[in-house]
Amino acid sequence: MDDLTKEFIAESQEGLDRMERCLTELEVRPQDSAELVGDIFRTVHTIKGTTGFLGFSRLEKLAHAGEHLLGSLREGKLSVTEDLISGLLQLLDGLRAILQLIEESGTEGTRASDDDSELIAHLAELNSEDPLHTDAPASVQPVAKNIQANAAVPSTSSVNNNDKTLRIDVDVLNRMMNLVGELVLTRNQMLQGGVESTANFAELARRLDSVTADLRETVMQARMQPVGNLFGKFPRMVRDLARTCGREVRIEFFGQETGLDKSLLEAIKDPLTHAVRNSVDHGIEPAADRILAGKSAEGCLTLRAFHQGGSVVIEVCDDGGGISMEKVRAKAVERGLVSPEDASQMSEREALQLIFLPGFSTASAVTTVSGRGVGMDVVRANIEKVGGSVELESKLGVGTTLRLRVPLTLAIVPALVVRSGGQSFALPQTTLVELVYIPSRDAAHAVEHIGGAEVFRLRERLLPIVCLDRLLGLKNATDRHGFYLAVLEAEGCRYGLVVDDLLAPEEIVVKPLSSVLRDIGLFSGATVLGNGTLALILDIAATAARAGVKPVIDDEMDDAVTDQTMRDDHQSFLVFEDKARERTALPLGLVERIESVPLSQVEYANGRALLQYRGELLPLRDEGHVIDELYAESDNMDAAATILICGEPGAKNARRLGVVVRRVLDVSDGALLNDSSVIEDAELALVKNRLTTVFRGFDIKPDWKEVA
Amino acid sequence: MKIVEQLSIDEEDETLSLCSMFAGQDSYGIATGKIREVLGMRELERVPMAPAFVAGVVPYRGDVITTVSFRAILGLPECAETGCVLVLDDNDGQERFGLMVDSVGGVVTVSKKMLEDNPCTLEARGRWLFDGAYKMSGGLMIQLDPQKLRPSRLSESGLFSQITVGGAS
Repeated sequence: MDDLTKEFIAESQEGLDRMERCLTELEVRPQDSAELVGDIFRTVHTIKGTTGFLGFSRLEKLAHAGEHLLGSLREGKLSVTEDLISGLLQLLDGLRAILQLIEESGTEGTRASDDDSELIAHLAELNSEDPLHTDAPASVQPVAKNIQANAAVPSTSSVNNNDKTLRIDVDVLNRMMNLVGELVLTRNQMLQGGVESTANFAELARRLDSVTADLRETVMQARMQPVGNLFGKFPRMVRDLARTCGREVRIEFFGQETGLDKSLLEAIKDPLTHAVRNSVDHGIEPAADRILAGKSAEGCLTLRAFHQGGSVVIEVCDDGGGISMEKVRAKAVERGLVSPEDASQMSEREALQLIFLPGFSTASAVTTVSGRGVGMDVVRANIEKVGGSVELESKLGVGTTLRLRVPLTLAIVPALVVRSGGQSFALPQTTLVELVYIPSRDAAHAVEHIGGAEVFRLRERLLPIVCLDRLLGLKNATDRHGFYLAVLEAEGCRYGLVVDDLLAPEEIVVKPLSSVLRDIGLFSGATVLGNGTLALILDIAATAARAGVKPVIDDEMDDAVTDQTMRDDHQSFLVFEDKARERTALPLGLVERIESVPLSQVEYANGRALLQYRGELLPLRDEGHVIDELYAESDNMDAAATILICGEPGAKNARRLGVVVRRVLDVSDGALLNDSSVIEDAELALVKNRLTTVFRGFDIKPDWKEVA
Repeated sequence: MKIVEQLSIDEEDETLSLCSMFAGQDSYGIATGKIREVLGMRELERVPMAPAFVAGVVPYRGDVITTVSFRAILGLPECAETGCVLVLDDNDGQERFGLMVDSVGGVVTVSKKMLEDNPCTLEARGRWLFDGAYKMSGGLMIQLDPQKLRPSRLSESGLFSQITVGGAS
């Protein structure tokens, strides 16, 4: 195919995308028809003109028929009706199909099935129709069905096209070129300076560092695409869906300009399409039901995109019937996913999680659109594959919100580098829940066996464990100085991965592997570490599947609550020292992680210490003035403070808090002292027979206070 | 256009420059045009669970490329020392991959006339890998076709997935 044809196809497809948007808009706002029809007319006219020039006569013929119809519409001879819009959409699909054919084969097709006469006749019929005549002619039906069947075709063609080309702002490109120039200059200086000019080296390295950082940022920026590009496909889809399902749906967008990496945009496309489809088919009720429920007949589907703490959130929100927990429970039992006893004991939150299990569908009837049980589990798997997460909120009778949270970019991910069997592996931080160190003296009895399976008792729950070296067939390290257990969670599977050693957490640049190595199915890529060596990136979900770990329903929150209510006289504490000579404790369930943070990262605003932690702003509590002391002790900013990251377990959106401590002492069981009259305003506990104060900074969580 | 084609055919008729390399007792040659870079001795990062013919991965110009162990393909026991890595390019640059051999000699210019086809007694694996041999004064230099050495082709051929390598753990 020559360049001219390629260019023509790219341009035409863009024009058709625009035409699609205009058409759906035209249906909603017929009063603005003049401008919209003009726009559509121009698109079709351009295609017709260029095809004649390139010699695609079939395309030209169809475009001509369309142009004729649009001409009448523009002159006001016809009025905008649903049938007319449908006819024009068929024209659009027809044009797209031919364009796709040209793109694939270079010709516009001469087979019998490639005949457009039916469609052309239909368009002519629409043209000759009396504007006031509203009854649909009988011949419309078969054509409409025909087109419905082909509805899947155009979407794939546009994907192919988008994959190959990308529009970049010339300014961004110029900036990139400048930075590359700068890079070359710095290199020249380095080469010319040679080894002897070490005095200059530090400065050159610094310059190189800043140029690289700038270049990285600029390239990232170039890859960013507005989410609106993706949203643009939905009005048409929702319109078609609404008609097949017999619903009245209006679609609204917010935050279309939010930027997202191109590869991510592609990755979330299918899950998002699925979610929108679900909302229209299951979420929004038929008009009659809506009126009975006191809502407007027309349902509203809202797509919203926005940035939140280093990730992009995309919400699919409908004002439909919501999800009935009773139905969900009943269905899960019916499909054998949970036992009836378990189902009746589930909280609403847990029941909602059932929707993400494979093989689940609440639709009472299986329709062509959805309800075949391939659904939310696939959505979740796809989103988690790119390091994102899915949340679902639903209120019966009010509506459902599905929240997709995806990272800004795929190319660079924070990861923890571990060693096993003499090799380095990277674990994505998003999947990492916690780390447990098991010293060699405990190693023998820390791992227990049930048959051939190994488990670890983590806070009185059995956690399946997987030995990475054994799973990968690596050499077993003989001199064990204890081992580390990385508790990982992906696609609902939670397990402990046994590794020999932990290396530094690093921001890694993901490099794809060749197909032979991808076929192993355990590695999602590779990366070059700071020290120049390579590390493979472990695919956490695939590893779980390989080791046979099955997804479990996350009932941790419920557990934590029962833990605290049922055993409030006796519970596990993390014991630490914050004030000098005083032992303080926190219930272990509240501590998410223990971090060692350089003092330079502790920032101040309005007199309060704050920490930027994984895109979140954590207030720091420093009751023992540890930070001040650290400053006094050392002049440089390299000193590190130990910070406990505390939060309410289970609730993801709860506020978290950082507690600065002198050092962490121990984890042990202890009993609360009920007789706390000795000291006012302080909870005391006996931990290992030593008096310990229970940390009270957590007044943001009232029910906890009550218990403690 | 035509003249250029004519020239290249003429050239090809007479001589060819090969890069010589060694594995085990024999010497092999690959057309220099197919070689992108000789990286020299490199420590490779092994990939667990990978097919036996994969020696590991190596970073190269911002990519991580899969490296084929030539000794493993030949069924020779693995060398204790690290090998010499060459980066080979596919014609269309689709799949860049590495080849690990014991050592790399240099560029040798050979005449096309010196090439002789594979002997008919060669077993299947050899028939797949070798592309005839040049009769050099110091011994035979076996010609390799980089296309056939591509990791994806090797795994497709099914000839090398079961090979047992002496030194592999």
